[in-house]
Amino acid sequence: MNSLSVAIILRNTLDAIGLRHIFASMFSVNASLLNAIENADASNENYDLYFTDSETFVANLEFFLPRRSKIVLVTDSDLVSSFPSINIRLEESRIIDNIGSILHNFEQTVDSHNELSAREVEVLKLVATGFLNKEIADKLGISINTVLSHRKNISAKLGIRSASGLSVYAMMNGYISHI
Amino acid sequence: MALFNPDSKLSDIVLSDVSVITVLNRFDIFLGVGDKTVNEICREKRLDVNFLLAIINTNVSDEYFPETALKSFKASEIIEYLKKTNNYYLQFQIPNIERHFNSFINHSINDNNNLELMRNFFLEVKRQLIDRINDDNSRWFPEILRLESSLKSSKLSLNEVEISFDDDGSDSIEDKLSDLISMLVRHLSGDYDLNLCLAVIVALVNIEKDIRQNNRIRNRILKPLTNALVAVNSLK
Repeated sequence: MNSLSVAIILRNTLDAIGLRHIFASMFSVNASLLNAIENADASNENYDLYFTDSETFVANLEFFLPRRSKIVLVTDSDLVSSFPSINIRLEESRIIDNIGSILHNFEQTVDSHNELSAREVEVLKLVATGFLNKEIADKLGISINTVLSHRKNISAKLGIRSASGLSVYAMMNGYISHI
Repeated sequence: MALFNPDSKLSDIVLSDVSVITVLNRFDIFLGVGDKTVNEICREKRLDVNFLLAIINTNVSDEYFPETALKSFKASEIIEYLKKTNNYYLQFQIPNIERHFNSFINHSINDNNNLELMRNFFLEVKRQLIDRINDDNSRWFPEILRLESSLKSSKLSLNEVEISFDDDGSDSIEDKLSDLISMLVRHLSGDYDLNLCLAVIVALVNIEKDIRQNNRIRNRILKPLTNALVAVNSLK
């Protein structure tokens, strides 16, 4: 499963379901359907990409503007806009190609290097030794959100989510000698 | 995958996803099903068709959530199934993984400490799973059965309350099994026996899928039912 996190916020449920199906079957991306902007806001989740329609976008500028680099517009015309867009009237294979190139472009822009950074190794060592997120934040003088973000990146790079799994990985690779 | 219905043939269901065999076993349905449909086998074995279908469809489709059928299932029915599932883990799947792990480590050339670390990690997951099963048997399941029988003796029904659905996030047993698979696939180093390693991975993938599907039944069916039973009992 691709680790890219995608939110679909569309007024038309069938469009949303269709889009989610294409993500799952063609790109192994597990997209979340959000039926209202409040849910997206309340979940506090930071998605990598938001697929939405222009009406929803305009009605929720406060939500979307801070995330403008992550917006993909779902339209029913070849409208010219500054955002990448998907025209739902195109034939299936072209829609899939369009989505493929949008995802590809996005992945090119993010750091796809799988080596852990020096800071991530520091966080990994502390997680592996049993420190809690709050304690790690205090020790490294960073915010708890930054710790969470490092942990998310570490898990994505290693494919390991649990703290005890990270401990085993850290021991296997000589980052720590014991737990 | 398309959902199955009462007229679906059991053989078609199994051929579409062989992991359903172990699910059917828990209903005392074994291979050699001939051309029987779900309806026919349920009549023969006196099983609730809707319940069996909900379990099968939950297992074959990640999208499926039997919301409308939810209130029609008895908690005792679900618990009976989950008990059989737990026993299946204890009697077959866990010993099977351990056997494969032992043979994998014993036959790998040189001392590969990483393998031993992974086996210890598996033993940690095993302990956690056994603790959960013990808690199911000693606390959770009896409490639900008590609430259900207490409801039977009153005039109230589950229709009196809203059933709220729990978050369907993965739990730490699922995460750890998936971590272990990831370690074997992505981070294995040193000398090892490839065939025996494959046996460990396949056994882990099987139990991980089984536990993931059963967590959906626990979290999305039994937990909401429990909440509803607690709520309706408090109306008395």
